Amino acid sequence: MSIALFVARRLGRGLVTILFAVTVTFLLLRLLPGDPALAVASPNTTDEAREALLVQYGLDRPLIVQYVLYLGQLLQGDLGTSFTQSVPVVDVLLERLPWTLLLTVTSLVLTVVIGIPLGVLAAAHEHRFLDRFVQVVGVTGQSLFVPSIGIVLLLVFGLALGWFPIGGATGDNVYGAAWYGSVVAHLVLPAVSLTLIQLGSYVLTMRGTLIDALAADHVTLARANGLPYRRILWKHALRNALLPATTLIGLQLGFVVGGAVLTETVFAYPGIGRGIYEAVTQLDFPVLQGAFLLLAVTVVVVNMLTDIAYGFLDPRVKAS
Amino acid sequence: MTAPLPTPELTQDAVDPAPDRSGTRPGRATWRAFRKLPLGVASLVVLALLVVVTVAAPLLAPYPASFGPDVLRPPGAAYPFGTDSLGRDVMSQIVWGTQQSVLVAVAASAIAIVAGTLVAVLGAYVPRVDAVVSMVVDLTLSLPVLPLMILVAALAGPSTTTIILVVAAFSWPEVTRLVRSQALSVVKLPYVDAARLMTRRHAWIIGRHIVPAVTPVIVVSVVVTASRAVLSAAGLAFLGLGDPTTWSWGRILYEAQTSGAMGSAWWLTLFPSLAILLLVLSATLVSISYDDARKPRGHGR
Repeated sequence: MSIALFVARRLGRGLVTILFAVTVTFLLLRLLPGDPALAVASPNTTDEAREALLVQYGLDRPLIVQYVLYLGQLLQGDLGTSFTQSVPVVDVLLERLPWTLLLTVTSLVLTVVIGIPLGVLAAAHEHRFLDRFVQVVGVTGQSLFVPSIGIVLLLVFGLALGWFPIGGATGDNVYGAAWYGSVVAHLVLPAVSLTLIQLGSYVLTMRGTLIDALAADHVTLARANGLPYRRILWKHALRNALLPATTLIGLQLGFVVGGAVLTETVFAYPGIGRGIYEAVTQLDFPVLQGAFLLLAVTVVVVNMLTDIAYGFLDPRVKAS
Repeated sequence: MTAPLPTPELTQDAVDPAPDRSGTRPGRATWRAFRKLPLGVASLVVLALLVVVTVAAPLLAPYPASFGPDVLRPPGAAYPFGTDSLGRDVMSQIVWGTQQSVLVAVAASAIAIVAGTLVAVLGAYVPRVDAVVSMVVDLTLSLPVLPLMILVAALAGPSTTTIILVVAAFSWPEVTRLVRSQALSVVKLPYVDAARLMTRRHAWIIGRHIVPAVTPVIVVSVVVTASRAVLSAAGLAFLGLGDPTTWSWGRILYEAQTSGAMGSAWWLTLFPSLAILLLVLSATLVSISYDDARKPRGHGR
């Protein structure tokens, strides 16, 4: 399979996933009782007025026509108008997206940077104390409730010790170089909590694939040739184990975004997740639906990019 | 919710033929091996205790009052877990929250397991169905599920039934993914072909041969799905989408956050957090130990 065909297939799959997300959202909005369009009408609305509302929102048309109209709106970047702020949902969300991206990407980088050495350490000491320790920490990390980690970090490092700010993304009235410092200071606690929730499964996967890779024939051959163990571990085995771990990052992304929603809520971080929390309290359905669609598209795009990167990294994809 | 729990490792040798009623039962051997794993047994005891708390909640603590005279008392003799900003006893909330959390976990995972297994087994048995099943599963699993759950819960209105259905609706694909891979390898085995020669009653083949062979995977996914359901339900409640009429662990955290007492009263967040951790961690350890106990060779952990 040529690399062009591989890329084309991944792009196609990404588009199908996005269409699936859109269709699910459309059906949910039309079939569940809390229909945002009908919510505008009060019990006192006259029949004629109700009829006019239905026509205005296109709800008198057959479902399939509504679906096509909905797709058309989305293609034009129209996600509706926020109930509470009376501004286009797209504007509300795009203003928040950079913060969510900053938070998620930072935590992904931290996960990989901390996770690889820990996984290697555990695999190299298989069944010994260090390995057990990493496993216990990994399993416990997987069982933590995201807001719990956030609250503990907030109470200890934010309130008790006062090392980091306890909420928001930037300080007030900070400009120039100090602004960047303030952004980093505000990012530390949310990014650490988001890292802690994904680190466990990343380390455990890393350990598992590395142990498999260490049992491979080419590693045995390298050992027989008398290569130093350190070199075998880091060069010969790790490179093969890295690929499945990369895929895991892509697969976990949906979970991580969910974690970001909870983390941003704890730290009042002005990303899409905090926006979702605020929209929930105000029952702002257009924002909720827009946030889901935007996050879904982001996850699909990042997933597609990691897949394509995988294709370039792994010579077997090109060869097969 | 978020971090995916470990996927049980399944190898070809884990595929048991239909249980032999006369000879040694694999279930009994697994239990004997399981009893020797201290972490597994301890976790099972913790889970059993939580179930006891669930059933005996009315005997253990009075239903949380709507307010009380002692506001924000730290843990002490009168209030073991302290009181919240309206003077309500946190221990009562935890005890009754256990009931709600366990109920949601059991109900949601039961629905997800039955639906997920049915779809997976049908898919493995009928290739044409499998194409659709695996596509829907892949697509659902690649979406951010929590924001989707939030949207549905907000549209349907917060209630215990909503939470159970929403969590179940987005948990079955994971069950299907786990069970499907096992069922696919079972369907190819000779004894299934033999059964096909004997009868044309497909329901009988599925019930007698395929479901028993995937039972170990189902057991593991019961535990995994239930603990995920706890995390999802707590996440929804933490965002204010929980049932406002009953207490849950997530609601205690939500109220601590919205009342502004979170910063000064550590006991408001510590105890519900510990309860969630205890339940999810012991469920995870039970599934890991069960997996270990089933593998006859080597003690791979």
